[in-house]
Amino acid sequence: MKNKIKVFRAIGGLRQEDLANEVGVSRQTIVAIETGKYDPSLDLAFKIAHYFNVPIEKIFTYET
Amino acid sequence: MKKNSFYLLIGCIAVALLVIFWYSIENSVHFFTESAFIIGVVIIYFARRRVTDLVEDERSAKITEKAALRTLQVFWVLFAVFSIGTVTSLFRIPKFPEVFRPPRPGELLISSGDIPSPKIIGYLSLGLLCAMIFLYVGFRLYYARKYGEWIIDEE
Repeated sequence: MKNKIKVFRAIGGLRQEDLANEVGVSRQTIVAIETGKYDPSLDLAFKIAHYFNVPIEKIFTYET
Repeated sequence: MKKNSFYLLIGCIAVALLVIFWYSIENSVHFFTESAFIIGVVIIYFARRRVTDLVEDERSAKITEKAALRTLQVFWVLFAVFSIGTVTSLFRIPKFPEVFRPPRPGELLISSGDIPSPKIIGYLSLGLLCAMIFLYVGFRLYYARKYGEWIIDEE
């Protein structure tokens, strides 16, 4: 799964720590998601999308 | 309570348990070390709930879950081998002499080598315990690395 969290964070001028606090995870989890080491649960993915106020498919894309 | 204080507490409890374990061996008091271990686990459990700067999220839960599952998958085989061995010895049919004669008073038909001594069972239990700890720590390190625990980001 690919994601554009880093792009959306940059647009919003948001630090990893801030996003982590907003969605209730550790900063290391945000780092792991951004680098593709960890695929978030549907719940967390929706929380992140909701925070950036965009549809989930704008941030996360599935690739085989 | 801060995370580092919690880790310090765990270290102190581990050292205390080692001392108690030593004392129990020296004085042959099994109950002492067993109850100390349970008390130690309970203290760690309640202290863990008071830690404020340790974030438990779905990634850390997944690391714990995967490590525990893999440990169980490997450990149950080791434990089954150990258990089958001891149970086989327990239910072993004693060897009778080829020409049967009634036993003399006080004579044991089972030789002492047929049943594993408690000392050997103790060594095997210690080995199993160490194996379980090493397996869990190993799997935990593996999954922590896999799920990006130590990635250094540019920020």
